[in-house]
Order: sequence, then C-alpha cells, then structure tokens
Amino acid sequence: MKSLIQFVVCSSLLLLCAVSAGAQVVNSGVQTVSLNATLNDSITLTLSSNSVSFLLTAGSATNSGSTGVTATTTWVSRPGKDVSVLAYFSSATSALSDGGGSNIPSSAFSISNNGGAFLPLSNTVAFGGANAGRQIFTVKVTGQNKTGTHADNMLFNIDLSALPQLPAGTYTGTLNIQAQVI
Amino acid sequence: MFHNVRVMRFAVLTLVLLGLTAFASAQAINSGAQPITLNATLAESLSLNLSANAVNFTLAAGSATNAGSTGITATTSWVLKPGRTAVTVDAYFGSAAAALTDGTGNNIPSSAFKISNNGGASTALTNTVAFGAANAGFRLRNTAITGANKTAQVTDAMTFNIDLSGGTLPQLPAATYTGTLNIQAQATP
Repeated sequence: MKSLIQFVVCSSLLLLCAVSAGAQVVNSGVQTVSLNATLNDSITLTLSSNSVSFLLTAGSATNSGSTGVTATTTWVSRPGKDVSVLAYFSSATSALSDGGGSNIPSSAFSISNNGGAFLPLSNTVAFGGANAGRQIFTVKVTGQNKTGTHADNMLFNIDLSALPQLPAGTYTGTLNIQAQVI
Repeated sequence: MFHNVRVMRFAVLTLVLLGLTAFASAQAINSGAQPITLNATLAESLSLNLSANAVNFTLAAGSATNAGSTGITATTSWVLKPGRTAVTVDAYFGSAAAALTDGTGNNIPSSAFKISNNGGASTALTNTVAFGAANAGFRLRNTAITGANKTAQVTDAMTFNIDLSGGTLPQLPAATYTGTLNIQAQATP
C-alpha cells in the first residue's frame, strides 16, 4: 500500500512538470523590414476646354474669344519651391497664321486671367518661343500649401489695331498652357 | 597625417552629397503642355456707301452743260483675301438708250450723262462694265490690290452733268425725266 501511494505521488509530480514545460513561449529571432516611402514632387494641369474661336473685325482692338478656358493646376511639392503657370506660343511672329504668309503675332494675342487686365504674350518664359509667352500665375510653396490646387480663369482677345492690313482669311494657331514647379 | 586625410575625404564626400542634393532639389518638374486650338476668322468684305441718293437737274434745251444739284461721294471699303488683284467701282444704267425717260418714249441716253470723278474729266457712260447694260457704264476706279491694301477704304467724289447738245437731244421735249444711276464695287478675281 505504501508503494502504491509513492507511485501515485511520483506520477502526479511528473505530470505537473510536463504540463509546466509545455506552457513555455518560444520566440524566433527579430526580422526587420526597412520601409521607404517617397512622395515625389508632382504637378498636373487640366483645361476646361481646348478650343477657342474668334470672329475678327479688321483693324479692331477688341476681338474676344468665343469662350473662356479654366486651367486647374494641382501640385504636391516642398516648401521653398515656386509653382507657376505659363501660357505660350511656339513663335512670337506667327502665333496664328493663315498658312499663306499672313500672321498674327503673339503680341496681338492677350489673356485676362481671373478678371485682371488683358496682357499680351510678349515675354520669354520657360517654354515656347522667345517673347511669345506670359506667366499667368505663380505662388511660393510654403508649409501651408505643399499640396495645392489653383484655378486660372482665362479670357482671350486678339488686337488687330496694329495690323490694319491683315487680309481676310482663317487664322489658326495653338496656345499652350503649362505648369512648372521649380 | 592619416587623420587629416580622413577628415578631408569626409569633407569632400559631404560637399559632393550636398551638391547632389541641391542639384536634385533645383530640378524643375513640369506638367504636360495642354494645347488650346485657336481659330480666328477675318471674313472677306466689300461695301460701298453714298453720301446722298438723289440728284436733280434743271435742263436747258440743247445745252451741253446741265450740272447736277449736288455731287455724291462713294466710299468703298474692303477686307480681302490674298489672291484678289483689283477692286473696281462702276457707275451704270440699266439701259444705254434710256438712262432717263419721261415715260412716254422720250429718253436721255447714257451717252448724254457724264460723271467727273475726283476732279477728272467729265466722261459719258458709254462703256460696258461689270454691271448694267452694254455701253451704259463708266468705270470710276480700278485699284490694284497689293500686300499693302488688302484692307482699305477709298472715296470717289462724283459730279454729274447732262449734255443735251448731241444728236436729236436738242429736240428733247419739255418734261420730267427720271432715271436711276447705280454705283457698285467689285473685287476680282
């Protein structure tokens, strides 16, 4: 009887030890994953429409475009940079042409931006021909506008007062609108 | 000495890295160029306006000189396409035989009606021009179009006379003679 009791006690102790050993946590070594997320500078520009018509009157200073165009510029950038929106032609002397040698220069083409004065495209800007452009908007990127959206509502006019001998014809051209962050 | 070389290497590398960083940050980022197609139409036009539309004559039988009551100035304006070579202004009647008529068979022919244009000689309307009847007109103007006058405006100051001295006109009966003189411009070709 005494041996039986001793056997039972020993067995219980062994079981307890086994249960205790099974509850211990076993960990692997730590494996690291390096994270590198880059948010690049970006800038996009979209236009509300891509076509403007003009019915010209010979010698008239006021020949308005058939419609205004809104340029919407969206950027993600860093403080200290400048965001600008530029309008330009590829040539100052022939912004619009009849294809037969008669041209309307960029200096006769003007833009009113967001209700401002009409100003001719007679400056040299980052894009296009020399003396064939105009900066229509610029803003310094700060901590407040690292991500921004801006709208430029443009109206157009062709001034023929300095071109009284322009012959009748259909004059076509391409005005480019482009944004830059630098 | 060895320490100094290491310091210099570090300084140079730092400067290079700073330069690259500055270069990278100075790069401009551009949006795509968005085009706006422009289409401007300057329509071709030709117009002629008169300073007045009525002239009276008090005729003297057989007289070569029966001046109109007033002169009339024709103002011609045009905007033309390249390729046009001339603008003409013509004066004409619908009939050479009956430029003016009393309505009962007595007529004053166009050959008896004369125009002096811009101080020039008084000339009878006996030519065939672009408009009107044969031998019933007079070309007041023929202006060549060059690169300098595709858009222009000119004036023709006309004075009028009826010559009743020729042919059977000295026998013209007393009456009121009416007629319509037309003035019209044309760009050619």
